[in-house]
Amino acid sequence: MNQHFHKKAVKIDIGDGAAIPVRKDAGLFTAWWMTFFGAIAVIVYLCVTQPEPYWRVLKFLPDGVYVTFQVTVLSILLSLVLGLITGLGRLSRNRIINLIASTYVEIIRGIPLLVQLFYIYYALGRLEFFKDLPPMAAAVAAMGICYGAYMGEVFRAGIDSIDKGQSEASRSLGFNRAQTMMYVILPQAWRTILPPVGNEFIALLKDSSLVSVLAVADLMRRGREFASESFLYFEAYTMVALVYLVITLFLSKGVSKMEQRLNYYERD
Amino acid sequence: MRTRIALALLALFLMAGNALAKDVVFAVDATYPPMEMVDANKNIVGFGPEIVAAIGKAAGFNPILKNTAWDGIFAGLASGKYDAIASSVSITDERKQTMDFTDPYFEVKQGVVTAKDAGIKTVADLKGKTIASQMGTTGYFVCKKIEGATAKSYDEIGLAVEDLYNGRLDAVIADDSVASNYALQHEQYSQKLTLAFLIAPEKPEYLGFAVNKGNKEIADLINKGLAAIKANGEYDKIYAKWFGSK
Repeated sequence: MNQHFHKKAVKIDIGDGAAIPVRKDAGLFTAWWMTFFGAIAVIVYLCVTQPEPYWRVLKFLPDGVYVTFQVTVLSILLSLVLGLITGLGRLSRNRIINLIASTYVEIIRGIPLLVQLFYIYYALGRLEFFKDLPPMAAAVAAMGICYGAYMGEVFRAGIDSIDKGQSEASRSLGFNRAQTMMYVILPQAWRTILPPVGNEFIALLKDSSLVSVLAVADLMRRGREFASESFLYFEAYTMVALVYLVITLFLSKGVSKMEQRLNYYERD
Repeated sequence: MRTRIALALLALFLMAGNALAKDVVFAVDATYPPMEMVDANKNIVGFGPEIVAAIGKAAGFNPILKNTAWDGIFAGLASGKYDAIASSVSITDERKQTMDFTDPYFEVKQGVVTAKDAGIKTVADLKGKTIASQMGTTGYFVCKKIEGATAKSYDEIGLAVEDLYNGRLDAVIADDSVASNYALQHEQYSQKLTLAFLIAPEKPEYLGFAVNKGNKEIADLINKGLAAIKANGEYDKIYAKWFGSK
């Protein structure tokens, strides 16, 4: 009876990589396979059978896809830098640094991303210093700062997950704390960190659709522009949704492949 | 006797009309001062809403305004979320293919707002500049047609004006009534911005109330009221209140 309570707590991992296929259900007809090729098939079918308007919609989107990637990649780079700093700060024994890092995380996690975007672009835009900030930079700054806070937690957990014996051994071999972190802990932590970072990347790509409110001409904005002029709301948003779906599924496959490689030594 | 019956019927009709005043729901994107906006008490006010109220009174229906984002305003009409759109919708041939319009209730030109010291005086001066308007508006269509200029679209015209004010844009194009409201009347914007010039349209541009294709009932009702307030001077009174005398 009591055994039930001694069971190890189940970890429920619902990230944006929820669709990432697990190795053990890797068959031909996985949900991933169905969705990915299904989405591509639907796009092709629509464009071939009804080129007007679907092909016209699709042709309208590519520069938006490019901007979406641009925002996503730049934001993820910024968030990695901020995340590393924050993660280390959260683990710091220096109470001030710790407090600053933790406060940053608390503030950012408490404000919706859409509000942060408006805040950085329009609210701070009223200040002389930020006046010349182009929308793309504001979008990247907002997304990077927001995801940096989440990334900080990923880094912290990743670094925390490395056995204490590792740093003890390293210290006893004469490495100082910084060297231990640099050469011993981080290279190992990276393996734990990378999959959630991949998930964050996909989540960020999806959230990047919010930057369309800053008049950044991303995929979502291109779709909205098309719809608002042609009144083809169904066709435009169907295409936009399918394109996002293909991109995120493609990336989630990449993340899962990467995860498999990283876990090479820990295979069941 | 006949007159009596007619009078009685008329009285009955009027009473019934009042008691059973039909609700007509209008979608409004209230981010377009002075045409339609939200006041401090969260009421939808402006030239458009007052015209709608007057039309409702004259035609015997009860107008209900529903604040709706411009982005999906035409989709909502098509899916029957409201009966009509009263949101400074310009009557264009493209739009006429998917919806019907009432008689026009206002004439607009496209006004170009710039910084006072920008030195932009003609369309040719806009070459190489970044210009913007609200997504899916006639102002944005004009932006896209100007050769050599980069066109940007915003969710609301106010956000575009804010970016112009902050120096991130060279010009904003919008209906002249809206453009002049921001550039000439707004306390803060008017210090830095100006209504540089108006773009003469190829043919006159009018605002109308949009209804679903084939919805003659609502269109006729609105047209009836519009004709009545134009005839009895009510329209001119409202016009004068918002824009001064003609």
